Parts: sequence; C-alpha cells; structure tokens
Amino acid sequence: MKEIIAIIRPKKVTSTKSALEKLGFPSITAVQVVGRGKQQGIASELDIEIRPSALVRSKTAGLKYMEYIPKRMLSIIVCNEDVDVVVKTIIEVNQTDQIGDGKVFICPVDDAVRVRTDEQGDDAIK
Amino acid sequence: MKMIRAIVRPESVDGVTEGLAAANFYSLTKINVFGRGKQKGLMVGNTHYDEFPKIMIMLVVEDESVDEAIKVIKYKSYTGNYGDGKIFITPVDDVFTVRTGLNGL
Repeated sequence: MKEIIAIIRPKKVTSTKSALEKLGFPSITAVQVVGRGKQQGIASELDIEIRPSALVRSKTAGLKYMEYIPKRMLSIIVCNEDVDVVVKTIIEVNQTDQIGDGKVFICPVDDAVRVRTDEQGDDAIK
Repeated sequence: MKMIRAIVRPESVDGVTEGLAAANFYSLTKINVFGRGKQKGLMVGNTHYDEFPKIMIMLVVEDESVDEAIKVIKYKSYTGNYGDGKIFITPVDDVFTVRTGLNGL
C-alpha cells in the first residue's frame, strides 16, 4: 500500500479528479496548501494578472517574487500495483510545460482500516 | 529520500522557513492545522482550550540532508515552552516532477 501525495495547481484539481475517477480511483483527500519550489516562489508561475505591488517584495532587487504560491495537495492511497498508473495519469493531466506544475511523492503506508466495516489492509481501500 | 513534517508555532514559521532557505532547503509546503499534544490542551482560568492552531511544514529531502534540516527547524522553532511542536520523519519511495515527468527531487 502506498500513499501518493501530489502537490498540483488548484485549477487542475477538477480535471485530475475526473481522470482518476475514470480509472476507478475516486477516493481523494484534497488540502489547500501554500508552498514554494526550487524556483523560490516566482510569481510568473501563476497564470493570472496580480497587482504588482501586492506581490513584489523588494528583498531581492529587480526580481519579482512571492514567498508562497497556493497549491492543492492531493493524498491518494492505493495498492502497490496501482501506483504506476495513478502517478502516470496525474503527471499527464497536470503537465502545462510551465514551472510550478508540482511534485508527486510516493510514501509507504503500513496499514489501513475502514471504520464502518473494520476491514484491514488492501480490502479497506478497494 | 525522507519527508520531514514539522508541526510548529504559527509565529515561528517565518523564522523556520528563512532558516531553511538559508540552508538551501528552499522547497517546502505549509499547511494550517489544529492539534493538541500530551499536555491535553491548555487551561486558562475556567476556559479549556483543547486544540491549538499550528502550521505543518512539509519538505522532502535527500537522506544525507535530513539531520541538517532537522537541526535548522529545531534551532529556529525552539522557545523552551510547551507547544514548540514535533518533527516527524517518514520514508519517501519515489518523487516525480510533474512538468518533466522525471524521477528525483
């Protein structure tokens, strides 16, 4: 069992959800987060026009940047054999060729319990 | 690779992130969370506060940089009082960058 933590653009959540739903992975936990990557929070990552005074911090002269960029964090728990197809779909749906598309982390999960039926392990997430 | 999840005081977050940036850990994610520790909240007069707002800083680093990142977080979030927070380290099997589809940080 693996947890797939994907940090993606907020406007791509709907298309990611419907793509995963078609594959049979409708269960998702989505969290609103803010963060930055190795580009150090460049404002041009956002597609929308923002008032320059609202985001320019003069810490670095001449460089427009904001410290954190709003993102959505999706957490999806799947069986070991489904990891590849889910990751591939997330990457395909979210690619825009611009920086800021996000990252996908794959972390091990020891066990899962479905509260309603008390099932454990792979049964609990299927 | 390891994922470091640090639950720190909201007021110490900026210090922690600046310290991490200075130590070349620039990429991170911040999540607003609520929680309590083993002090079971806080009693102020007759009012019992069960859960406190905290901020969870999440970052993924290479195995050899874990100690350094933890040292920075510990140093920057320390006040000596209850409620300074906790740091959790969990394994990460794999990382993909969405734009390139490539493996690795």
